[in-house]
Amino acid sequence: MKRNNNNDKQPGEFKLTPEQIDTLKELGNIGSGHAITALSKLLNNEIEVSLTSADIIPFWKVPELFDTPNVEVFGIYSKIPFNSDLSIIQIFTKESLVNLINLLNTNDKVFIENIRNIEDLDDFSISIITEIGNILTGHYASALADILSTQLIPNVPIVALDTLNAMLNGIIAKYSQLSDYLVLIKTKIALPEIKLNCIMCFIPCMNILKNLFKILNIKYNMNL
Amino acid sequence: MIEDTQIGKIVDIDKKGVINLPIGHFVIVNSKHRLSNLYPKLSIYGLGSCIALILCDYVHNICGMSHILLPKTTKKIIKYPHKFANLSAKLLMQELINHGAKRDNIKAIIVGGSRIFDLDDNIMGFDNIGSIKEELNKLKIEIIKEDTGGSKGRIVIFDSKDFSLYFKSTGQNDFNKFTNSK
Repeated sequence: MKRNNNNDKQPGEFKLTPEQIDTLKELGNIGSGHAITALSKLLNNEIEVSLTSADIIPFWKVPELFDTPNVEVFGIYSKIPFNSDLSIIQIFTKESLVNLINLLNTNDKVFIENIRNIEDLDDFSISIITEIGNILTGHYASALADILSTQLIPNVPIVALDTLNAMLNGIIAKYSQLSDYLVLIKTKIALPEIKLNCIMCFIPCMNILKNLFKILNIKYNMNL
Repeated sequence: MIEDTQIGKIVDIDKKGVINLPIGHFVIVNSKHRLSNLYPKLSIYGLGSCIALILCDYVHNICGMSHILLPKTTKKIIKYPHKFANLSAKLLMQELINHGAKRDNIKAIIVGGSRIFDLDDNIMGFDNIGSIKEELNKLKIEIIKEDTGGSKGRIVIFDSKDFSLYFKSTGQNDFNKFTNSK
């Protein structure tokens, strides 16, 4: 196991070894794997999972991790209370989530042209979205909790319809008060039959990373 | 995009003459020291809880914009000071003055500080607005236009040619325009 020599680091900067990045990718695979298995059961359909990517990047580059950060999308955000919180956010294209709602609610169809703002969705649709968020985040968090031998219980998810860039402001702000770097672990999910496109993002706080690496016996040296 | 040796300062513009300002960065446009005849448009897309701060000296035609993320910091060593409202306001003002602006002429425009996810403890936007107003008040800089708060993301484009501000919230079709009439 390598030890980091961090004498040359600036305040607020930290580095992860390739080993640590791989560990985070694997963590994302495990978490999203659990989440997707649960969603598959709900939809009675196979869901394609892409590989997870794990990035440690400066706060101002976070939007660059996404292809179209200025397009309007649905975001389902959950905070997971922990030492200094974790965040999980699922991003669905507008079309995806409307298709999903219509799949699960065969009574009243939602038409995408009518949805300009989140207020245009009826309560039942919002509750469907919230439940999807609960399922995805809940299973992701419980997989993480198993690995960390702790409890991770997400708060009730909140839905927004806006550009990804705007949605990320608050999350970036939260995680870069003391650091200029964020860790973002993301997994793409697709279900072509219903044109479902979703990105699951997990943003850990530093304490979670420390615990994780400690537990997995990888030595590190972070300078926050 | 090239960054100056001063971290966070943008000095290059793309072919369309638009400077897209990332979080924690700032830009100054000085008509007198322009290298080309282009008047860049300064833009921020996806302004959520962040604040776009624009300072203008309309008399000397110097303007600047910063993209602020957080209300305050008390740390001494900061790589990106324009992340913080309490540092950006005075640093941006100083930059304008360094480029020939007169302190008494400087006016401010602030946009942003919305709350996208409707959670009670999601007060980042609110705190940012409070902090930037407090700082501008301390510096005795008048805010001549404000589009802040609410629950939607915004797009801001500042045209340095005529100092017009274009702004729009998510879900709106057209941009609003503001020009200082003085």
